[in-house]
Amino acid sequence: MKWEVRCRETWLHETNPSLKLIVLVVLFFAVLFIHNPNVLINVSLALFVLFCFGTGYPANVLFWLFLPFFLVFVSTASSMMMFGEGTTTWVRWGLIHVTAESFWRGVHIGFRALALGLLGLIFSLTTRPVPLFYSLMQQLKLKPKYAYSFLAAVRLLPMMLEEFQTVRYALTVRGVPNKGVLSKVKRYAIPLLSQSIRRAQRIAVAMEAKQFSGSGQRTFYYEIGFGKYDIWLVALFAALMFVAYYMGVHYPYISIRDVR
Amino acid sequence: MKQAIVIDRLRLKFPGSDGLLFRDLSLSIAEGEKVLLLGPSGCGKSTLLQVMAGIIPHSIDAPMKAERLERPERWGYVFQDPDAQFCMPYADEEIAFALENRSVPRREMPARIRALLDQVGLEIAPHTDIHTLSGGMKQRLALASVLALEPDVLFLDEPTALLDEEGTKAVWQTVKQVGRGKTVIIVEHKIDHVLDFVDRIVLFGRDGRIIADGEAKAVFSDYKDVIAAEGIWYPGVWDDYDRTARRRNRHQGEELLRLSHFRGFRGREAKIYVPKATVHAGEWIAVTGKNGAGKSTLLQALMQLIRTDGEYMLLGADIKRQHPLYRHIAFVFQNPEWQFVAHSVREELAYSLRLEGRPEAEIEETIACLLREFDLVEQQDQHPYQLSIGQKRRLSVAASIVAGQRLFLLDEPTFGQDAKNTFALLEMLEAHREQGAVIMMVTHDEQIVRRFATRQWVIEDGALVRDEQLEIREPVLTEGGAGQ
Repeated sequence: MKWEVRCRETWLHETNPSLKLIVLVVLFFAVLFIHNPNVLINVSLALFVLFCFGTGYPANVLFWLFLPFFLVFVSTASSMMMFGEGTTTWVRWGLIHVTAESFWRGVHIGFRALALGLLGLIFSLTTRPVPLFYSLMQQLKLKPKYAYSFLAAVRLLPMMLEEFQTVRYALTVRGVPNKGVLSKVKRYAIPLLSQSIRRAQRIAVAMEAKQFSGSGQRTFYYEIGFGKYDIWLVALFAALMFVAYYMGVHYPYISIRDVR
Repeated sequence: MKQAIVIDRLRLKFPGSDGLLFRDLSLSIAEGEKVLLLGPSGCGKSTLLQVMAGIIPHSIDAPMKAERLERPERWGYVFQDPDAQFCMPYADEEIAFALENRSVPRREMPARIRALLDQVGLEIAPHTDIHTLSGGMKQRLALASVLALEPDVLFLDEPTALLDEEGTKAVWQTVKQVGRGKTVIIVEHKIDHVLDFVDRIVLFGRDGRIIADGEAKAVFSDYKDVIAAEGIWYPGVWDDYDRTARRRNRHQGEELLRLSHFRGFRGREAKIYVPKATVHAGEWIAVTGKNGAGKSTLLQALMQLIRTDGEYMLLGADIKRQHPLYRHIAFVFQNPEWQFVAHSVREELAYSLRLEGRPEAEIEETIACLLREFDLVEQQDQHPYQLSIGQKRRLSVAASIVAGQRLFLLDEPTFGQDAKNTFALLEMLEAHREQGAVIMMVTHDEQIVRRFATRQWVIEDGALVRDEQLEIREPVLTEGGAGQ
């Protein structure tokens, strides 16, 4: 089954995965503490541009990946707008009560959800699992036991997808009625889980049979170090935050400085 | 001669089971010896192999005790399932994993990886996605990553059980080359390719005791009856089968299936094309071709699991009007577990009948009949997952054909089965064919094609390129069969 999407490698792929992870986690918390909607809108737009042009994926793939996050944006923003509290009423219609305060708060929350989603997308689209875990072992001293377990699990996922397809065919062939969420979950979960659990156990035994001890001395096939792109990465995100903040404060779109 | 492995009075049991799997088992293997462990499934050969390697008790826990246990320092173990022994996505990374574990310096790795791939005859780029390799190539990659450990002793636990003929040959050829100078201990059910390689055979009985232990050729000829009765694939097994087989009725009946410009799609791409074909009742069609040629896709298209176009008539009516299709076509998957839907063997068989709302008395009668025919009477209350591999396969076939379908689609149903189960299954299908069913079976096994198929479809690059009637190869007749 075709499950892997081909993409162009960009400079973001070349950065050190641990450093990228740390930078993006820092940004994640920074976004949580931005209360000025002007700044947040700037940050989101900048991340969106990076998402579109920095990840190296074709436009249609990006569109489908972005769609769920856009829906989250719309739903969080609209629910905050319609049911929030405030003093300057714009519309009141039954349960729905839109005020100026709640409207801007909704916009703010929506953009926050969007920015967090974009951060996650940028990371996962530009990081391959193997370099990520090698880097985590080398830079952040993650125990090999956990790193290789995750890598083995990553290998199991496409196999499970293929098996899911087969189980679906098998149930059709047997004429199993395709209804009832609970019975459906059971019919898929039992064969898929039993297969994966046994396979995981076998892989674990095979790994130990290859003298894998989970800790202790080992060498690495991939040496993950730092390069010029890592400087770019830090510089880019620092500049991005600074410009977003500066523009947000001095050239605001709206007059509200703090939505709290 | 120096001993590589010494086991003295081993006692072992599995948690949760009563009784010992081994009671005072003693065995020693000299350095450089090539040993084959033979025996019925469930006799503990694989367990013994794991004890010799130290996987039990190091990785798998089992209560065990031995007076003396000497195990090799450096060993490698190749497992049965090609998909369950790799932890990395790419071939070079997988071999590197073994090298890393031994702390081989990084700069030496690329050259060693290349050398190991050459040693096992894998002509692939080192950075190849393991997912794209065939089963035989995966097993040779497993061998390469095990050789990266520079083992003195190689343990091979049915490495070709899940491979086709071509993969099996390639793997054993490789083992013969890389096994020179090493101690090699093999558990295997298909021994055609192994027999000329091993010097010694240890034969186990059902109770885990050693029945015979000695020079390979001698044990094989002295105990051939025992070996045959246990369903082991030995050289000449088909000739022995022919001596017992009865004469076949090759009568053809009415037209069952008609295809014309028939195509099956995956997504938007046509993956299989049949220009023109008609099939009559009583035909056995062997679908052959290389891996990935589109054989399974053809069966899926005929079962309407994927989108199709062109003409497809079944039993004189357009396929779209033959709804529900499972009443007319039985489909058997490669892995029987995937299609089990009930919690006991009985219920599994009753499932399709209940779905059709047949009267309970009739259901009971049909089930009793099937349980006898497929030799599952004793297991009727067990959960399908608890059955042995052979029993699972028989149940999946029995449950699929219960509704009296006329067209049987089978995707390598004899894969990984022992000889006894294979013959039993083929005989059952043959009986249904004689009663007017059509068997369409994907297979790699030339022996089955020659003996059972009346017709062969060769699939190449997603199209039916050759459709030929096969000469009937009559088995040697016994007195019982000659009277027909």
